Parts: sequence; structure tokens; C-alpha cells
Amino acid sequence: MKFGRVLVTVLVALTLQLALARYAVGGRWVFDLVLVAVVYGALLWGPAAGMWIGTLGGLMQDALSEDVIGVGGFAKTVVGFGVGGLGLQFLVARPLARASVVAVATVLHRLIVVGLWATADQEWKGVAWTVLLMETGLNAAAGLAAFHLTQMLPGVIQHTRAGCRSPLSRRRW
Amino acid sequence: MGSTRRTLVLFLVLSFAHLLLMSVQMQTRSGLPLFQAGAFSVFAAIQRVMAGVSDVVRSGWSNYVALRGVAAQNDALQKQVLSLEGQVQTQAAIVSQTRALEQLLNLQQNLVASTLAARVIAGDPAPGAFVITIDRGSADGVEPNMAVLGHVGVIGRVINRPTAYAAQVQLLIGHNAGAGGVTEFSEAVGPVKGGAGDPPLEMAYVDLLKDVRVGERVLTSGLDGIFPRGFVIGTIERVVKGSGEYSEIAVRPAVDFSNISVVLVMLARPARAEGGS
Repeated sequence: MKFGRVLVTVLVALTLQLALARYAVGGRWVFDLVLVAVVYGALLWGPAAGMWIGTLGGLMQDALSEDVIGVGGFAKTVVGFGVGGLGLQFLVARPLARASVVAVATVLHRLIVVGLWATADQEWKGVAWTVLLMETGLNAAAGLAAFHLTQMLPGVIQHTRAGCRSPLSRRRW
Repeated sequence: MGSTRRTLVLFLVLSFAHLLLMSVQMQTRSGLPLFQAGAFSVFAAIQRVMAGVSDVVRSGWSNYVALRGVAAQNDALQKQVLSLEGQVQTQAAIVSQTRALEQLLNLQQNLVASTLAARVIAGDPAPGAFVITIDRGSADGVEPNMAVLGHVGVIGRVINRPTAYAAQVQLLIGHNAGAGGVTEFSEAVGPVKGGAGDPPLEMAYVDLLKDVRVGERVLTSGLDGIFPRGFVIGTIERVVKGSGEYSEIAVRPAVDFSNISVVLVMLARPARAEGGS
């Protein structure tokens, strides 16, 4: 596991989350790009990377929110561990299958967070299912886009390089 | 095998550290100020740059590319301005009459505090957090607990210590947020709390005997020492008179929280009203 790419993933996900959430304040469009990054890291680089992205990203989110620090961090660490373990046991290679994992992880993450809040407040406030459905759909869509991009990017770069090369360079002199 | 064991140990260590962190805060009921301040100042700087870039792109698009239909919109806006100017003059007349009456009755005048316009540069860091970041901070005179308003009503209050050029605002619909409220006609007083589902605001501790009606507006009472009296919080959508001592009142906020780009920060805090709690 390379720690540099874990840090970059966390920073990119959190920056995008804050920037895009600026246009979706108040809960009409609910998404969690840090959670998508956790699943992304766990499936591509293994459970350790997933857990570290979850820990760092979750703690940062908690610090920027007005909540107990550690709730998001814990939930995302568990998700990183679970999804990473799943990625080791089963072959989850297709973007659509990976997006489905993002959807399941979103539900698991929300249930853990709601459970922790209920434990802290000693009051069960229930789950807002419509909001959860929206979050699941948007996270899965973001995951699908991220995994598609990852799959396409090496090919696109190779194609661009080949296109940029001058015709003379192809000839052997 | 060794790798699996290492992963499991890492999971247990990280989980234990998180649980320890949470339990410490739940006992003391406070966050980790240094960590919060550090994370906020780093991401506020990044978000200022990101917001600047996205605004340049947006303004480029809206000022040069998407100009179709602007003439028609201009005509409509001119008519609206005329109508609004009329309303402003009427309101000014009412204000001058009120001031004259206040002077006659020797009342202390309710001075309108100075406000500061601020741009929203970052949204919810996590779903359900209901915290936004604005591009004004301590260098502009912004302090914790200052009221933040939109053009139609109350948005929230400044939380935590602002950095020089950024501050965090807790939205009124958040699950830990609240404001002192009073109904416009029945004058029932009670705290309005966020996080209530749909609609997201709930007015609590309103006496069953008060004749509160659906459609009545809820205004700030000024009793909380944060929001000045008389600003619109929302409209009553549901009143349930149960078997207890209080009515259950659901309030629809006046502000459309899904579409906030510019806010006003009230730079002076109102004095706590007499007898307020």
C-alpha cells in the first residue's frame, strides 16, 4: 500500500465533496464522495488502503462538520475493511459490479452512523429512507463514473500519445 | 496469511482508536478544537480557490454563452423593479410612522444592525451535517454565534472560531440547530429546532391553549441572544394538539436551503430581551 496515493485520494474526494455540495446545500441532493473514495481504494488497493482512506477522510469530515469526531471515521473504516475483504474474496472487476458495491456500502455506512448517533443520544431517530435512497443512487453513479474513468484512462493516454507522435518517428531509419 | 492478520490487527487498532476518541468527546461534550481548527483552515483555503475557479467558469458561461432570452428577462425585471420601488416607498412610510410613534411613546428604537454580504464557498462536508462555509472571517469582523440571514429569512448562525477569511455556518435545519421563535398573530413563544424530518423545523413547548394556526408565520423572538426579533423563520405547516401540555408544531422554513449562494452576516448581536431565556 502506498500512503501517498491514499492521501491524494482523500484530498481529492474531500475537495470535490465540499465543492459540489456547495450547489446542493440543504439536503435535496445527498452524496458522499469520501465514501466512494473508500470503496474505490478498498477494491483497487486492498483493505488496508480502504481503512486508511476511511479513517483519514472520515475524521476530516467529522472535523469539518459539527458532530462528534470519530463517528464518520469509524463507519468509513468498517466499510473500508469490509469492502477490501470482499475484494480479496471475490473478483469484483466490472464497473457496474463495483458501483453495486458502492450502493451496498452506502446503506451499511448510513446504518452504522445512525446507530452510533442513537447510542450517543440514547434516542432512536430512525432512518430517512428517501434520503438514503438518493444518497445510494448518487454514490453509485459517482462510483460508476470513477471506475469507468480508471478503466478507460490508460487506453486514452496510450491513444493520445500514439496520436501525438509525429509520422516520422514511426519509421525506422 | 500474514497479510490478513496484519489487516485484521490494523482494523482492530483503528476501530479501538475511533471508539476511544468518541467516548472521550461524549463524556466531555466537546470536540477537538485544535484538530477542527486545523482541518477547517486547510480546507477553507482550498475551497476559496476552488470557488473562485468555478465562479469564473460560471460567470463566463452566464455572461457570454447563455445570453439568449436576456432581453425578455430584462423587460420583466424592469416591471418588477417598478413594483418593488412602490413597495419600498410604502414600507419607508410605515417605518417613519413607526419611528414617530416610538418617539411619542419614548421607546428605545430597534436599530437595524449592520450586515455583511458573504459568498458560500463550500457545502456539507458530510451528508446530513448542514454546515456551510462562507468567504468572510475574523478579518471582516465575523465572530462565533453571529446570525446569518438570507433574503427571505433566517439561515443559521456562525459556529466555531472563524479563520481570517472564512467561517462556518450551521444551518437552522441541522439536527443541533435552533432559534427562539414567536408566532406572528397568536404570539406563542417557543424554541424552533432543526432536524425534524419533513418539514425540517419543529416549534417546541408551545402551550396547548394558544390558538396557533396552520399558515401563520413564525418569526425570531430575539430571546436567544443570537437572532434579532422579527426575522422570518418559516410558516406553520402542521399543528397537532396531543394529550400532553404542549402542541406539536411543524414549521416549513422560509429559506430554500437547497439554493443558497449569498448570505448576510449580522455583525452586531442583539441584546438579550428582558426576561428571555
